[in-house]
Amino acid sequence: MRVLGRRLFFYVVTAWAAITLNFILPRLMPGNPAQGLIERFAGRLSPAAVHAIEVLFGQPHTSLISQYFAYWKQVVTFNWGISYTYYPTPVGQVIRQSIFWTVVLIGFCTVIGFVLGTLLGMIVGWRRGSWRDALIPITTFLSSLPYFWFALMAILIFAVTWGWFPSSGGYGIGVPIGFSWTFISSALYYGTLPALTIVVASVGGWLLGMRNMMVTTLNEDYVLLAEAKGLSRLRVMFTYAGRNAVLPSVAGFAMSLGFVVGGAIVTEIVFNYPGIGTVLFQAAKGQDYPLLEAIFLTITIAVLLANLLADLAYIALDPRTREA
Amino acid sequence: MLISAELETAADTEESPSGRAWLRGLLVPKVLVGVIIVLFFVLMAIFGPFLDHTDPGAITSARLQAPSAAHLLGTTQQGQDVLAQVVYGARISIEVGFGAGILTTLWSVIVGLTGGYMSGTGSELLSMFSNVFLVIPSLPLVVILASYLPNSGSTGIIIVITVTGWAWGARVLRAQTLSLRRRDFVEAARATGESSLKIMLFDILPNELAIITATFLASVVGAILTEASIAFLGLSNVTQWSWGTMLYWAQVSGAELARAWWWFIPPGLAIALVGTGLAFINFGLDDLINPRLRSGQPKRRRWLGLRAVAWFAGRAARRVTPGPAGGSTPSTPAPQVQPGLGEAAGAPGSPVLELRGLRVVYGSGSAPVQAVNDVSLTLHRGEVLGIAGESGSGKSTLARAVTRLLRPPAEIVAGEMVYTDRSGRQIDIAGLADKDLRKFRWEEVSIVFQSAMNALNPVLTLGTQIDDVLRAHRPGMRKPQRVARVRELLKLVGISPDRAGAYPHELSGGMRQRAMIAMGLALDPEIIVMDEPTTALDVVIQRQVIETISALKERLGFSVIFITHDLSLLIELCDTIAIMYAGKMVELAPAEQMYDRPLHPYSQGLLGSFPTLTGPRRTLTGVPGYPPDMRRLPAGCSFQPRCPRAFDLCTQSPPVLVSPSDVPSDEVACFLYQAGAPVSEQNLTTGGSHA
Repeated sequence: MRVLGRRLFFYVVTAWAAITLNFILPRLMPGNPAQGLIERFAGRLSPAAVHAIEVLFGQPHTSLISQYFAYWKQVVTFNWGISYTYYPTPVGQVIRQSIFWTVVLIGFCTVIGFVLGTLLGMIVGWRRGSWRDALIPITTFLSSLPYFWFALMAILIFAVTWGWFPSSGGYGIGVPIGFSWTFISSALYYGTLPALTIVVASVGGWLLGMRNMMVTTLNEDYVLLAEAKGLSRLRVMFTYAGRNAVLPSVAGFAMSLGFVVGGAIVTEIVFNYPGIGTVLFQAAKGQDYPLLEAIFLTITIAVLLANLLADLAYIALDPRTREA
Repeated sequence: MLISAELETAADTEESPSGRAWLRGLLVPKVLVGVIIVLFFVLMAIFGPFLDHTDPGAITSARLQAPSAAHLLGTTQQGQDVLAQVVYGARISIEVGFGAGILTTLWSVIVGLTGGYMSGTGSELLSMFSNVFLVIPSLPLVVILASYLPNSGSTGIIIVITVTGWAWGARVLRAQTLSLRRRDFVEAARATGESSLKIMLFDILPNELAIITATFLASVVGAILTEASIAFLGLSNVTQWSWGTMLYWAQVSGAELARAWWWFIPPGLAIALVGTGLAFINFGLDDLINPRLRSGQPKRRRWLGLRAVAWFAGRAARRVTPGPAGGSTPSTPAPQVQPGLGEAAGAPGSPVLELRGLRVVYGSGSAPVQAVNDVSLTLHRGEVLGIAGESGSGKSTLARAVTRLLRPPAEIVAGEMVYTDRSGRQIDIAGLADKDLRKFRWEEVSIVFQSAMNALNPVLTLGTQIDDVLRAHRPGMRKPQRVARVRELLKLVGISPDRAGAYPHELSGGMRQRAMIAMGLALDPEIIVMDEPTTALDVVIQRQVIETISALKERLGFSVIFITHDLSLLIELCDTIAIMYAGKMVELAPAEQMYDRPLHPYSQGLLGSFPTLTGPRRTLTGVPGYPPDMRRLPAGCSFQPRCPRAFDLCTQSPPVLVSPSDVPSDEVACFLYQAGAPVSEQNLTTGGSHA
């Protein structure tokens, strides 16, 4: 439990650091983003909106300390003011509408990519020196490709040339959003191609990592002993080699997740998927700082939560961590 | 295990490759391929624009043309030449990639090195700092940073990538520095009063070159990909050609919908190829440093004749190797067993395992190493057979061969390993097919490894690891029965049954080793192979474990092959003792004989190397010299260079194992006891011992 406490503390610190970074960045940047924003939307902003911008991006006549506390209040209440790209929708609402799509698509695909890559890596590592080793250069090549390039290819092949899937969007036009079979099936149909893209693009990294760990683990005495015990091949592969080899992958989930999520977000843009990635793209194009920063924080918190889950899984998988 | 470990270190280059090792690295095919690919793109970035004068931005009327002679890679929607864009675009992509790669690595090294070398709160804070950056998803951060710095050109992008990408390298380098800090050479430098900066730069840094290179290569790949993402999002200057901006324009103009594959495939391929090239260099260097990851050459197990499963039920004549004559076990010579007569075959003293002409070779090709060279011996039912020898003598390889646990490059190339079960049925272990082998394992022969800490799976409870055996071999057993059996086994070796739920790290060293023995007994096997089961334990615990083994053996009647380098231990425990040297058996004798009058000079030396746990005090002498290099064995008798009593015959041909006429119960491979030995020598040994 002490381990868990330490990890929790770390995530709290990280969240604090990310939120503070969000506070510092616009104040460090050349020029005055707050003033720029206010000028750009001159006449369209109510005094309250001007105030919100100033709290988030820098107030001219207030001390940094009191600015910081005012900023925190906005963050806690998730009051990011009005989005300018989606004017006059509040930032909070824009994010609420898009986050669901992203969490479902990317959350699902990340897990599938991890499980698939790890399983494949386990098999490739188990029979090192067979034809399966040819997978390594291929997966290396695949994992060097930008995610969004995969998306372009997927659209070209599966949507445009073969017409199997729609090329953009999250659900059929005219389908009402709701908990109905029509909507869910439409969302699944539209989501297949982006999901496929993300899984294919992320599988390679997990595969390579797992393969290398598997090769190292297979040299351990306990794997040899499991073999000597006459256990079935699957039992040795999963419970003795795979189970132990997967630990670094689970521990490394943290550092990879940011990368995978980043790549997946760009994928959304190509598919014009109604998730947070597409919103991020629009916000970046329109220099919509309130929306950008809110998205950054939302993604960061989501990634931190996913990391916490990975940590819980790690503690469950490795009894040695429960002591120290 | 010993030999393989030695070979691996020998094949290994030093942990921190010297200049020469780096040069050799270039010759690794993977590295070479990677370098060629990367060099191609770097040269294209530098010289491409001089060779291809087409203006990448020039708008023509040839819109969206597929590749043709005029436009080798086709044209964009504005009629711009794709090839020219790829060539010019290489400049920014390569510049940003390598620029950010260098800066990122530099920053990682600074943070990792100081954070790892310093101690205390400062170091903890630095570590926390890099972990925080590691967890924060970098792409959204990059997007925000880039949108604050619009049109800042590639310098801005390089800075943004550096700020968001250094954490992973810093973390890896910190871990490496932490482990290096404790090394002797660093401690020594510190003791001489060298400054911290000097130690970091001249003692630690050179030893981290491999990791720094890996960090750099990964950073370059990451930077190229990030640049492409930023450009693709339209956050960099989109009028400047890079592979990323090409993809931006392709996406904005709907190239994928217009099926203009030639527009976005080339920049994507270029990015992936540079990435693959750099990854290949990285893998190649990894292989060089960590040879385990190298893909072993696929090698088919060479089947020993047509013995997929060999059931020789009807064999009559069998060579009887010296039985457990004398000593504590039956003093009658091993009875000639008539196969098929169950009673006789299962009787104590009948052969349970016979090795005939066993040969194990490590590696193939020009210089295979004979780890086990023509070894024949017989284990009798209820007997404890000891095998002694120094590291690399082949004794552990022999244990692995008997249990069929050898892994490539080790291979059984000749010989038979005939197991006789209680009903007299004979099985050649070497020829068992996978399915039968799995059934045979643990049921008939179990093994106890040297280090129980490594042999027990750290993430499974003791109970699970014993239960696994029961589940695999006794499918009919119900759960309560299995639980009862696990408790019974633990009790048998003196472990409290409620420790079944404990993990290996929660047990003491002696307990772990006894747990291993409990596991070995789970199926009441006929033979337990013990590969240095007490070497890692202190003397008191060693004593307890040995007593446990002796008591259990008396009670359960299994046979033991006990492997150790401690000959005095064997003399206490064993009925028969075999001495191995350089893969060969050099002496085989009853334990008492071995204690009173060891014949081979090597046995004499080994016996003089250890104090006995009980028994009278002796002067310790030891064996002079070092274990031989198995790849370059001396001519004649392998022991001859270290032998205090070698004479001219010893260098001429290898001696064979024979029984000296005056000591028929002993077998020894030494010319001292064969015709041609110097007379005085012969008298000295045999006569002297009798006195």
